[in-house]
Amino acid sequence: MSDVVLEARDLVVAYGGNLALDLPHLALRPGELVGVVGANGAGKSTLVNALLGWSRGTPRISGSVRLAGEEIGALPTHERVRRGLLLVPEGGPVFGRLTVAENLAAAEAAAGRRGYTEAEVFDLFPRLRERLHHAGAALSGGERQMLAIARSLRLGPRALLLDEPSIGLAPRLVSTVLRTVRRLVDAGLPVLLVEQNVRAAIEVVDRLVLLERGRILAEGPVAAMRDDPRIIEAYLGDTVA
Amino acid sequence: MNLVQQLINGLILGHAYALIAIGWTVLLGVARLVNFGHGQMYMIGAFMAWWATAPLGLPYPVAVLVAVAAGALLGLLVQAVMLRLTLEQNLVSIMIVTLGFGHVLRGAASLAFGGTPQVLETPPSLIEFELAGAWITAQDLLIVAAAILVFALLRGVVERGRLGRTARMVAEDPKLAQLAGIDVTRVYLAVFAFEGAAVALAAALVAPRTPILTSIGFEEVIVTFVVVVLGGIGSVAGSYLAGVGLGLFTALFGGFVSPAYTTAASFAVLTAVLVLRPGGLAAGRAVR
Ligand SMILES: Nc1ncnc2c1ncn2[C@@H]1O[C@H](COP(=O)(O)OP(=O)(O)OP(=O)(O)O)[C@@H](O)[C@H]1O
Ligand SMILES: [Mg+2]
Repeated sequence: MSDVVLEARDLVVAYGGNLALDLPHLALRPGELVGVVGANGAGKSTLVNALLGWSRGTPRISGSVRLAGEEIGALPTHERVRRGLLLVPEGGPVFGRLTVAENLAAAEAAAGRRGYTEAEVFDLFPRLRERLHHAGAALSGGERQMLAIARSLRLGPRALLLDEPSIGLAPRLVSTVLRTVRRLVDAGLPVLLVEQNVRAAIEVVDRLVLLERGRILAEGPVAAMRDDPRIIEAYLGDTVA
Repeated sequence: MNLVQQLINGLILGHAYALIAIGWTVLLGVARLVNFGHGQMYMIGAFMAWWATAPLGLPYPVAVLVAVAAGALLGLLVQAVMLRLTLEQNLVSIMIVTLGFGHVLRGAASLAFGGTPQVLETPPSLIEFELAGAWITAQDLLIVAAAILVFALLRGVVERGRLGRTARMVAEDPKLAQLAGIDVTRVYLAVFAFEGAAVALAAALVAPRTPILTSIGFEEVIVTFVVVVLGGIGSVAGSYLAGVGLGLFTALFGGFVSPAYTTAASFAVLTAVLVLRPGGLAAGRAVR
């Protein structure tokens, strides 16, 4: 068990009578970057949100979530965050009325956890240093993603969940963001990455999970998955390199 | 009465208004919540202060503390009951629940304290002196001092420091605040405890000016509403200015035009300000 940082079992999410997610098992190991892909509405956001017991709506969530061996599936969201499970939700939201500096300062690692320092965060995202006194609302989409990730790093993550950090970004920025994510993983932080852009994801992830209608359709090491006909057919087309 | 006397009266009244309204200002600014039981919580605060002094014979400063503690508990209670609505930011239901809570409080107060008007006699109200032709009491000065102190403290807390930042995060996006590790439930409970404590403090200080009945509180909630909206919802400095402004307006209008129409005139002013400056007097600074 000790080689698993984050593990979910029988995670089930329903909105009203609609089953949005039914996940028997999912694990994230140290030093691992796992990509979650699937069509719109497949349940990717539902999955990462449910790991934190979080939602903008009012779903019913059940199942077990273990972080570093501790069962956290019944804890409120902020307690899971304090134990080191961090989520950058869809849209990479930041506090728009707080400045970049305040957004970062507000993210203090809970007692016993060591977060990234501001210097470390600026090293990863030099752009943020230049925007330090701008309001969050005045940032571009890419800068918001950077700030949202930076905030999570400040909070001292054991595992980081990113929900489409590259959405709406220019192609060049997409690869920049994904390479930064890879750097984080290589520095020891396991990441679960939801990504629409399968082609870009395949370049950086170690394992791929394919979701469809709330269920895992296929899962495996990226080397095997990139040859999986279901992936090729749905995401890579016939132009696969 | 001459102009200077009316201005002095207006200043005192204005600080009383600001003090009565401060709990709601924080409630709206930090949590985007409303409390239509505010007036009845004022009434309970006044009765608690009276009960602690007259029947129990406690010294006035202790009575103020009793009222404040009771107010904080009431605030916690109502928020604990409607926590789910708060987390869902279900404003319409919150209005109805707090309105209902106010009526329950009034009924409970009638049972407990009966229908006899009471007077909260305090040592500072007996110290009278003349200032520029106006007779004022030490109680009046206490109101002004307390209002300035509470507003200054609050401004210091909200504008600077960690507590204020947490409050602004919860105000802007409570869901996102959870992902930043903030216990939003605790913030909501704290804000409602503050609302209860603040309105009880206002009651314990302001109520000695008038007889205390279980039916009071309506005027206070109207005043609060005007002050909070006029000041720019959730703006601490705006509420202070609006409270003092409304007090001056009430005193001057009452003194030189007609006391019977001051409330109507206040609403006319409020309407005019809202049309001209939709964000209130402190537009731009307000936490919407
Ligand atoms: N707040 C909500 N209320 C009701 N149903 C919801 C809610 N959020 C998501 N759903 C439903 O749950 C299912 C999964 O949605 P989810 O947002 O997880 O998809 P996704 O894979 O993240 O899609 P996308 O790629 O568009 O972000 C969808 O059928 C969606 O309609
Ligand atoms: Mg999604």
